[in-house]
Amino acid sequence: MNQEKIRNFCIIAHIDHGKSTLADRLLQSTGTISEREMQAQVLDSMDLEREKGVTIKASAVRMGYTAQNGETYQFNLIDTPGHVDFTYEVSRAIAACEGAILVVDATQGIEAQTLANLYLALDYNLEIIAVVNKVDLQSAQPDDVAQEIEDLIGLDAIDVLPVSAKTGIGVETLLEAVVERVPPPQGNLDEPFRALIFDSHYDAYKGVIAYVRVMDGQLGKQDMVHLFATERTVEPLEIGVFRPMMKSTDSLQAGEVGYIATGLKTIRDVRVGDTVALDNNKDAIESLAGYEPVKPMVYAGFYPTEAEDYKLLKDALEKLQLNDASLIYEPETSQALGFGFRVGFLGLFHMEIIQERLEREYDLDLLATAPSVEYQILKTDGEKIIIDNPADMPEPTYIDTISEPWMHLSVYTPADYIGGVMEISTRRRGEMIKMEYLDETRVLIEFNLPLSEMIIDYYDNLKSITKGYASMDYKFGDYRASDLVKLEVLVNKEPVDALSVIVHREQSYPRGQKLVSRLKKVIPRQMFVVPIQAAVGKKVISRANIKAYRKDVTAKCYGGDISRKKKLLQNQAKAKKRMKMLGKVEVPQEAFMTVLRLSEE
Amino acid sequence: MTALGLYIHIPWCPTRCIYCDFNTYIEANQSLKERYHVALLKEIRETGIATGHPPLNTIFLGGGTPTTLNPNQMLEIIDTVAESFTLHAEAEITTESNPATLSLDYLRAIRRGGINRLSMGVQSFRQEELSLLSRLHDVPTVHHAVEWARQAEFDNLSLDLIFNLPYQTLSQWEYNLQQAINLNPDHLSIYSLILEAGTPMQRQVTQGQLPQPDDDVSADMYEATMTMLAESGFEQYEISNWAKRDIGNASFQPASVRRTEVSTPKLASAHNLIYWRNQSYLGLGAGAFGTYNQVRRANLKRPHDYIKRIETGTGLGMAQDEKTVEAIDRPTAMMEHIMLGLRLTKEGVSATEFETRFEVNLADHYQTAIDYGRSNGLLEWIEAGDDQRLRLTPSGYLLANRVIVQFIE
Repeated sequence: MNQEKIRNFCIIAHIDHGKSTLADRLLQSTGTISEREMQAQVLDSMDLEREKGVTIKASAVRMGYTAQNGETYQFNLIDTPGHVDFTYEVSRAIAACEGAILVVDATQGIEAQTLANLYLALDYNLEIIAVVNKVDLQSAQPDDVAQEIEDLIGLDAIDVLPVSAKTGIGVETLLEAVVERVPPPQGNLDEPFRALIFDSHYDAYKGVIAYVRVMDGQLGKQDMVHLFATERTVEPLEIGVFRPMMKSTDSLQAGEVGYIATGLKTIRDVRVGDTVALDNNKDAIESLAGYEPVKPMVYAGFYPTEAEDYKLLKDALEKLQLNDASLIYEPETSQALGFGFRVGFLGLFHMEIIQERLEREYDLDLLATAPSVEYQILKTDGEKIIIDNPADMPEPTYIDTISEPWMHLSVYTPADYIGGVMEISTRRRGEMIKMEYLDETRVLIEFNLPLSEMIIDYYDNLKSITKGYASMDYKFGDYRASDLVKLEVLVNKEPVDALSVIVHREQSYPRGQKLVSRLKKVIPRQMFVVPIQAAVGKKVISRANIKAYRKDVTAKCYGGDISRKKKLLQNQAKAKKRMKMLGKVEVPQEAFMTVLRLSEE
Repeated sequence: MTALGLYIHIPWCPTRCIYCDFNTYIEANQSLKERYHVALLKEIRETGIATGHPPLNTIFLGGGTPTTLNPNQMLEIIDTVAESFTLHAEAEITTESNPATLSLDYLRAIRRGGINRLSMGVQSFRQEELSLLSRLHDVPTVHHAVEWARQAEFDNLSLDLIFNLPYQTLSQWEYNLQQAINLNPDHLSIYSLILEAGTPMQRQVTQGQLPQPDDDVSADMYEATMTMLAESGFEQYEISNWAKRDIGNASFQPASVRRTEVSTPKLASAHNLIYWRNQSYLGLGAGAFGTYNQVRRANLKRPHDYIKRIETGTGLGMAQDEKTVEAIDRPTAMMEHIMLGLRLTKEGVSATEFETRFEVNLADHYQTAIDYGRSNGLLEWIEAGDDQRLRLTPSGYLLANRVIVQFIE
């Protein structure tokens, strides 16, 4: 295909602002797919996903569009992951495009994450077509939103297109704008083949499917290809394009978007951001800029609430990992929680998604320990270690310094809530970098904030303090040395591994008190007095006693009561069998669940 | 020969108390009450025939409020039982009663008719507590009723009391108990309040209209009860039951426990001992339970359903609710034997009887559970002649469930 007739673009939008509705509408308007097919396909892919752990992503769809000038164009719509932990993946998708459609809800205005992605697109010199969506709604204020866009990014408000993805208003104009305003790719067909991998998925039959944007040259279906980052050479099983289902082709050319079915079995062998070249001249090729290996930022222990579900959890994690290269895990054992896994995530939202998928799609009941970050520890003997589990923290006397990751955080909030946002951020050791009024009512505040503080409950707090209006975006800043300590919880003088956390010294007191008072509420009385303590090193900073059990007796039991009272005792015996033993102390599994869940609040 | 008891349910009450979850109904409809009476007499006769008129050691009229029956009805029931079964000459024949339903004439009539044990639902000697419990009687009525019972020659009188009521303090409970002691009853049944699901009182506590009774306070009251009653000449023979100390033996007591330190007192409720000793009993009337020939069955609960079934049926279990029929297999019987036997604070569970009945060695089979109880000071072995008996220690009474749960496999 002549590159002049190719338009590669993505859609940037906030959740709920109508990105997928607009994408669906574009697919329909270009005749790529009918409404009925659309529904059928969505359903099919969900079933498939359930059965085989396969996702069919309509995330790089090729459409044919015949413009008013009578010419037919090849549109490639590239999807961008919808949340903040996937900034890197978004940047690779953007690098594969020449244009971006910015979608803003006409009833709500721009949100922080949209803005972050928009700046990313501007960094890559993408042509931006701004759209105000949902103009069919009564509460729509398209002119105000258009003005906001002008103020923010300097696009002329009169170039902002009013659209209703739901009713189809303005969609035709948008398609024409893509033709007119998005520049065609500028690849060189005569150069050796070189392509960017911007996404991937696992297919049970064809192995890992690499989603590629061809930068230069041409790939034939018989060509051996080389993946730079993982240094793998493969003979593709198939090459092709998404329409939106996979359709094989004989070649992929400069400027085009398509896929390479690698036949590889491990998703981590195909890295997003990596460069693909022909194997026979790989040494002559320079790899594309911007590749970064995926690195988890947040770690937590995942445990099945029922020990016998361990195998199910293992299988489920395996299946999720097939399609999620950023998900890593290894087995872990906790004295309190039994057998589980230490799982690494890109961020807190990623963790939530994985946890939710495990619980919903695989019907698992999970217990997650408090999330942790990666700490860099310089020991007194000069050795440097990295830990993500409080259990691995050396004794204080062996520690010279501990450093923790700090994030650069952008909060976008109505001005009314500035005070609240400042309060919850500085309480978490946040340092304000700048505050900028975007218009009279909306403010962008930037902070440096330790990741460990952000992952506990920052986002929920932010949402509740701003009545849901604030949004946020963050990226890694740097590692900084901090006064961090391991806070341990001891039940009957024995530490409970699952409840240990690394915290800033100043916060060890309130956190310790909170944990102790919660445990006191959920651990039932025993035959003896049980002390509950929170300690930093050898120093106990909070303490409470659970009184000894005094009364557990059935007041009356006569002929008519026997069956009922027997059942109650049998239930009690059953509950007892489910108790976890912490030394001599019997603790119901639910107690851990309550404490761990509460600590998220 | 093991004893056999007969429980008869009289579901009628003048009013309904807010803590009560028994199968009771306000006695509004006299013709329904009359039909119920006729049905009950039929069930007694049919059951007698179906079981071959077996020897009967005890009769217990419970409810409800059996003393809502007129004396003729009550005596008709006793006579019909006597005709349909082989009633032991010294059978214990108890009726429960509400003090407000009693008069001297009434008590004389039923005593003459064969009732020889009177159990009175007193619950409290403090008017505000009686009102809180929505009891029909007041404090003077209790005193009169006890006096009349003695005049009517009831020499086996039991009082029921409830402690740990909302608002009740330890000293208020001790006052109640002292009042009961002063009336010189032969037997006391003393229960910590149970907030049964679905009762108005439970709802009021859940909704915060009444304070939640505290378990620690309950334990304090229980311990005070044990001390005061021991000092007043009562012997505790079950977790919630005390009888006047005496030198004799309870009726129908196995030979092995006679005249030893593990003897249950003579004035203990012979009928209730049948339950706790895991022996057989028949239950007649609406919603009544019986355990007979290794089957536990209950009758239909609603009087109307019960009557209809009886009017057309014959034989044992003619009015049974099919959902509640439970075959008691050996493991179940063993568990129940321990659950019930450990309630008997003096005699406990006999190792010999256990082995004879179940062909399982008590000490070996439940070694872990017994070790747990003994190492925590909650269980003890007691020598009784050639026999060994396993029973709770006094510190185990309040933690009986903790101990029993260890025996559940």
